[in-house]
Amino acid sequence: MIEEGRALFLQIAESVEDAIIDGSLAEEAQAPSTNELAAFYRINPATAAKGVAMLTDKGVLYKRRGIGMFVAPGARELLLSERRTAFADRYVEPLLAEARKLGLGPEDLALLIRDRAGAQVATTTEGNAR
Amino acid sequence: MTTGTHVIEVKNLTKHYRDVVAVDDVSFTIEKDTIYGLLGRNGAGKTTVMSILTAQNFATSGDVRVFGMQPYENAKVLSRMCFVRESQKYPDDALPQHAFRTAKLFFPHWDDDLAAQLIDEFQLPQKTRIKKLSRGQLSAVGVIIGLASRAEITFFDEPYLGLDAVARQIFYDRLLEDYTEHPRTVILSSHLIDEVSNLIERVLVIDHGRIVMDEATDAVRDRAANIVGDASAVDAFVAGRQVIHRESLGNVASVTVLGALTLADRERLAAAGLDVAPVSLQQLIVRTTQRAASEGAATEEGALR
Amino acid sequence: MNRTVNVVRMQLINKQTFVWVPLIVLGASFAMSLAIYAILNSSGLEGPFYGGGSQAPLWVLLFVGISSLTLTFPFSQAMSVTRREFFLGTMLAAAGCAVLLAAVFAVGGMIEEATNGWGINGYFFALDWVVEDGPLGAAFFYFVMAMLIFMLGFWSATVYKRSGALLLTLIWVAVGALLLVAIWAITRFEAWGDVIGALVQLGAVGLAAWGLALTVVLGGISYLTLRRAVP
Repeated sequence: MIEEGRALFLQIAESVEDAIIDGSLAEEAQAPSTNELAAFYRINPATAAKGVAMLTDKGVLYKRRGIGMFVAPGARELLLSERRTAFADRYVEPLLAEARKLGLGPEDLALLIRDRAGAQVATTTEGNAR
Repeated sequence: MTTGTHVIEVKNLTKHYRDVVAVDDVSFTIEKDTIYGLLGRNGAGKTTVMSILTAQNFATSGDVRVFGMQPYENAKVLSRMCFVRESQKYPDDALPQHAFRTAKLFFPHWDDDLAAQLIDEFQLPQKTRIKKLSRGQLSAVGVIIGLASRAEITFFDEPYLGLDAVARQIFYDRLLEDYTEHPRTVILSSHLIDEVSNLIERVLVIDHGRIVMDEATDAVRDRAANIVGDASAVDAFVAGRQVIHRESLGNVASVTVLGALTLADRERLAAAGLDVAPVSLQQLIVRTTQRAASEGAATEEGALR
Repeated sequence: MNRTVNVVRMQLINKQTFVWVPLIVLGASFAMSLAIYAILNSSGLEGPFYGGGSQAPLWVLLFVGISSLTLTFPFSQAMSVTRREFFLGTMLAAAGCAVLLAAVFAVGGMIEEATNGWGINGYFFALDWVVEDGPLGAAFFYFVMAMLIFMLGFWSATVYKRSGALLLTLIWVAVGALLLVAIWAITRFEAWGDVIGALVQLGAVGLAAWGLALTVVLGGISYLTLRRAVP
């Protein structure tokens, strides 16, 4: 679960973000406390606190005084949009660059994508039918 | 992280033994309620530093202040610290319970229930004299004293020697648990860096008596990367970067390079067919230390010529 | 509770060291001495019988002194006890032990005198010259002897801890040499008569007073040495 070579507090924040994105942690639901996170991942509570603080700064979590940390409304959208941008940077940019090398322009690329996506759906429905 | 609350201040601490310099002009501060890792090889100076901080050993020169005061013969300061060393001697015929009962007398925050729970978890035999305990059981005694003392500053000197992996995990878990409920300053010396890396908030690396790193753990964690692949491609990529380690087998080279990798870097690497592997904290510290040592030797050589 | 008093409790963890061994040695040497006197008595000898048996428990204190440092000082450091607290607490424990021994000797001596040497004219506790100043004088004498011998052990162990075996050996050799020189000088100047006369003049109490002074001096040196000792 915990990866080498990456700041722990970032990984903690990410695991909470993952839960928000896949829906297991709903908006306005109570987020795991710093101590709960620390105990679960077996890490220093201060590190967990740093991760939570980062999420609060980002606007993903907010504090209800005396009760705890809660998922902010709109957090999911915020995270999805953030991840989509990262996705574009990480995958789409190199994809376009490589495509260009092979003489494929963005339109050709779009055709290819739709083609493959269609094939994927076909195989899945076939599989489901059986 | 709490600021402005140094519980320990060390300035230019030096310790000589005849012609050996055990601690060489060391300076650092320790913040309140933080877990520190005092990391380094055997003989690097970790135990010596901790002994001096607890006035069990004496500095040759330099200044040490704990809670703003000098610790030497200062019961007010010493009673708030706990240092059980790795090869601690106990009274000859003492049973573990004697040691714990004595600890209760001298550590104002001692918790019997915690001690009892730990005795149970470490399966410490109550009827065996301490001098007859196995290495692991002896370590367990020290760990129990350290944890149950709840001293404001607690040192653990390579506390897991002889403890098997299960017992070590018990120690780490209980330490974190108790630290969460009763925050205090903990200084944990270890050469098993990867095992403790998730516990420690700050890293103090000591090598040949010198502090070579004093940073937040997370800041150090992503500081390096391993670039693996065709040797010439790797060399092309790492040109101009700080290399701290190099290995090669035939055509394939694995180079540890300092500096975070940008997105552009990753693209270059992918394009060149090179792999990126993460560097564990232990690898990073070991390699940085080795490099510092060899650089030190090189400068000395240069100076001699 | 006072930390120094807690050091006493810490020393008494080694009940064997501070309590049982001295008592056992006392009991054993007492029993053996009486047995020997009884044998001598039954073979017709009159007595009064004196033996060196009563010294044994006192010399045990030499080892008590040594182990009170070597076995407990490192542990006391782990308990975050200052060297001062350790020193004072250990001295307190030693004094307690010495008082106990002195009481046993004084009372034993009184019984001995009252029963004419246990009925066989054999004396273990009540040495002539010790009891001539009365039971209190005897008690004081034994107390000081116990403390002095304890302190010799403690002081030796402290020097050993701080400076190692070589220095300790050198010191004892030097002390031995000084004694030899003194003995030679007294013999040379045929002053034995004067020396022994002076000692008799002092009596047990006087001797004890000098012993106390020596104990205090050794104590002072031990403390100063301990201040720089590493566990």
